[in-house]
Amino acid sequence: MVLMARDLAIDLGTANTLVYMKGRGIVLNEPSVIALNRQTGEVLATGREAWQMIGRTPGYIVAVRPLRGGAITDFEITERMIRLLLQRVGVSRFTRPKVVICVPSAITEVERRAVTDAARRAGAADANLIEQPMAAAIGADLPIDEPVGNMVIDIGGGTSETAVISLGGIVALEAVRVGSFDIDAAIQNYVRREHGIAIGERTAEEIKVAIGSADPTPDENQAEVRGRDLMTGLPKTVVLTPEEVRFAIEDVVSSMVASVIRCLSKAPPELSQDFLVRGMYLVGGGGLLRGLAERIERETQVPVRRSNVPLEAVVLGAGHVIEHYEALKGMFMGARR
Amino acid sequence: MAAVLIGVLIVAVLAGGVLMWTRSRRRPDGVDSFRRQIDALSADSRRPTIDRMNPTEPPSDDEDGTHGT
Repeated sequence: MVLMARDLAIDLGTANTLVYMKGRGIVLNEPSVIALNRQTGEVLATGREAWQMIGRTPGYIVAVRPLRGGAITDFEITERMIRLLLQRVGVSRFTRPKVVICVPSAITEVERRAVTDAARRAGAADANLIEQPMAAAIGADLPIDEPVGNMVIDIGGGTSETAVISLGGIVALEAVRVGSFDIDAAIQNYVRREHGIAIGERTAEEIKVAIGSADPTPDENQAEVRGRDLMTGLPKTVVLTPEEVRFAIEDVVSSMVASVIRCLSKAPPELSQDFLVRGMYLVGGGGLLRGLAERIERETQVPVRRSNVPLEAVVLGAGHVIEHYEALKGMFMGARR
Repeated sequence: MAAVLIGVLIVAVLAGGVLMWTRSRRRPDGVDSFRRQIDALSADSRRPTIDRMNPTEPPSDDEDGTHGT
């Protein structure tokens, strides 16, 4: 049994939790979901197994996402989820690693303390936080060590953050608590309102992946959606078009694009000119929405490029920080203040 | 008596010197720490971490992989 703790970087996302182990790379990538016995409080499943239970559980089981909008909504459940995830990557009472956790840059002091406390109680010897856009920029392999403007747009499950980074620091930042889960919720609401059927959040996500887009795209198809008729209570199928989905999610997409524009307007002029040449980099699961890069590009007149590792960029960046802990500890939240 | 006093004085001076030395060591040098941070963020430094994700790189050890991704 190896008793030496390998330090960890955790991307504690609203949608997925990824863990990077020092010297090894990404060792865990699971949905941030936990299934509990409602009566006993016992944990029944975590990660992918718990995700499959969402909306399909009997009355005594509840499958929940303990993070919403990038913030912990249930401290105790989050702590249990982190503990179980850390156990799965080999953390025990004998191996207490240093942990770097990526969090939205806009979280409050109370939320910060909640995350670090949850990690410490879950088995971390020390827990430090790093802003998601900063980690994303490192993981997306942007030259943030140079005195040039690097712009990263991180569209997550619960937050959308845009940051201008130069010389290893954040120059301008804009964050909104709107993410891809809000797109799913908008689709759910639209289908309920316009077609009179109720669909679950997993079905809404499937619609988004199948035909969702932020801007018209070539080869668009319709999708059959099955749900429960709100009038009769019987199963019903309706057909959704891409135009309908675009209309349904317009408010959410507009909010994301407006956030990017606000960040651009905050950037110093010397760095602004760099964006025209270097472009902006789109990361995060929400950034995979079809037409989003094109929509941002159309509205800002700045080229948008997609990262090669959109889902893993944040944890890779935090992983780099854990690999160079001593040199980069000045980048932790709170260290610069 | 004089020898004791001189001894105490020497010890005090030495203790003061050690104290000042440790304090000066503890204070981080802004230029050095900034340089270290920038070096650690350089492309060369980032490469090994980024390459852990590179799908074109042949896997050296299955345990190092990304199971579950």
